[in-house]
Amino acid sequence: SEKLNQLSFIIGVFFILVALVLLIGYATTTTLKHGINLYTGLAMMVFGLVMVKLKA
Amino acid sequence: MNLHFADYLVIFIYFVFVVAVGVIIKKKITSSNDFLNSNKSIPLWITSLAFISANLGAQEVLGMVASGAKYGIMTVHFYWVGAIFAMVFLGVFMMPFYYGSKARSVPEYLFLRFDEKTRALNALTFAAMTIFSSGISLYALAKLLEVILHWNFDLCIWIAAGIVMAYTLLGGLTSAVYNEVLQFFLIVLGLSPLVIVALQDAGGWDTIRTNLEPQLTHAWKYMGDADANPMGIHFMSLIFGLGFVMSFGYWCTDFLVVQRAMIAKNMSAAQRTPIIAAIPKMFMPLIVVLPGVIAIALTKSALDSGDYRIPTDAAGGYDYTMTLPSLIAHYYPSGLLGVGITALIASFMSGMAGNVTAFNAVFTYDIYQAYFFKNKSDKHYLNVGKLVTLFGILFSIGTAYIAASFNNINDFLQLVFSFVNGPLFATFLLGMFWKRTTGHGAFWGLVAGTLAAAITHGLTIAEGKGGWISPMYPISSGMGQAFIVASFSWIANFFTTIAVSLVTKPKPDEELRGLVYSLTEKVYGTEKRWYLKPAPLGIILLIITILLNIIFF
Repeated sequence: SEKLNQLSFIIGVFFILVALVLLIGYATTTTLKHGINLYTGLAMMVFGLVMVKLKA
Repeated sequence: MNLHFADYLVIFIYFVFVVAVGVIIKKKITSSNDFLNSNKSIPLWITSLAFISANLGAQEVLGMVASGAKYGIMTVHFYWVGAIFAMVFLGVFMMPFYYGSKARSVPEYLFLRFDEKTRALNALTFAAMTIFSSGISLYALAKLLEVILHWNFDLCIWIAAGIVMAYTLLGGLTSAVYNEVLQFFLIVLGLSPLVIVALQDAGGWDTIRTNLEPQLTHAWKYMGDADANPMGIHFMSLIFGLGFVMSFGYWCTDFLVVQRAMIAKNMSAAQRTPIIAAIPKMFMPLIVVLPGVIAIALTKSALDSGDYRIPTDAAGGYDYTMTLPSLIAHYYPSGLLGVGITALIASFMSGMAGNVTAFNAVFTYDIYQAYFFKNKSDKHYLNVGKLVTLFGILFSIGTAYIAASFNNINDFLQLVFSFVNGPLFATFLLGMFWKRTTGHGAFWGLVAGTLAAAITHGLTIAEGKGGWISPMYPISSGMGQAFIVASFSWIANFFTTIAVSLVTKPKPDEELRGLVYSLTEKVYGTEKRWYLKPAPLGIILLIITILLNIIFF
């Protein structure tokens, strides 16, 4: 449905942005260079892409 | 706890998104029904996740982690005894009446089934409770951020309230529901890494079970004697007090959660909403109980591998309410710390927005329209709904400051709410399944139930609380006392309702069609596949719940 499309897209974009913060932070700063940031960032990126893909 | 730029960025992204949801939804809001009821058009998966998320407020997230640390695995009773059974019952037996009656709120159902005075009693107490709950949620958020991040208390109150106001005022209930789904995923994804790393640090579940006292790792084994388990309650008190009275009283009658099912797009979706919601609810202990158990295991000297400790309070005892924030501070580095803090903020905001949207529907439909201005235009009620949202937020802010000024007001309000809520399920049970129940019976039953709760509390004493009439009956725990108070209030309501109904005139059958089980055509849903029908789905969930209870016996 249109509503489900709309919401899955919003949630997907949100988690992609949060994942980018974690992954870029992991790659560029020593403060964020922890394995848990990398793995959580990757997991959130996959989840976000799946949600955005659901919309398509 | 100090935040890095990345942490602030995550919090900022979250704030922007929740307000953006309100802006996106705003274009679709053209009537009071859109604003207050989402035009009953929300798909099943959204209503189900919103149903669970509306309950996933601060008390749930912080409180259950604290209980996990204090009572151990017995905390799962709040899920596997105190939630799943009631959620399945709501979906299979009660939603056909709530949804089929075309009532726009739970108090309106009481009006259709009983009379005006029963609706008024429920609407007024519910409206007061939602505002106080919303305010207490706001206070707790500001207090937490002040303690762990040293943020300004007033600033936290006004920013959090302002953001909730922005998205609820722009998009009404739909906006709140969309954000509840976002908040659900944020809480689950934001706290899952914590469980994994903390469990790893503790050496895994088997190590925890080996090193903790057995009372903290078994759900039922030590419940034959109230003094033998950390909760201080007997299994009979748990099953009747929590599993029946309090659980069904909350999940089946509280408009805050029932509203999410009432806005589903058809009867089948409305019935399946609480049942689908029961699936994540069943596994929620992994996110909110297990961290507490891990925390107490890490704190005990037997597992002295790491340096984590549950914080202590001024008296030197464990400050259990700070268990989750301290776990986040200990295990999350910058970046993920922002995600964890945002998940905490989301839990507070979903609790607050849920209360405000339930309040504005009940106030607009069941108080303003019912008693003051009956036949105004739809645009008038839309504007009133928005105005009520604004005042609801302002009252919440006022309540938050009252809570900040009086130490024990939270406990006092929770106590009063339990007096009112405890007996409520008896009214609905008799109203839906016994056509002889009358409006007079329902009203006086509720009054008798509330009085019985107050008297029981006044005659029992636990942990220094209660006994204000005469401390005749000591009870070993406050939780046990709450279950006993709720049980007596339910019994008083049940029998008073029956007695008064038998001597007063019931409504004629034709007025009760669609409102009472025996006079309503049974709807078995339009789903062709058996596993999509509410009853088989509910039975599967109940079997899994019983198995989980056996596994953690």
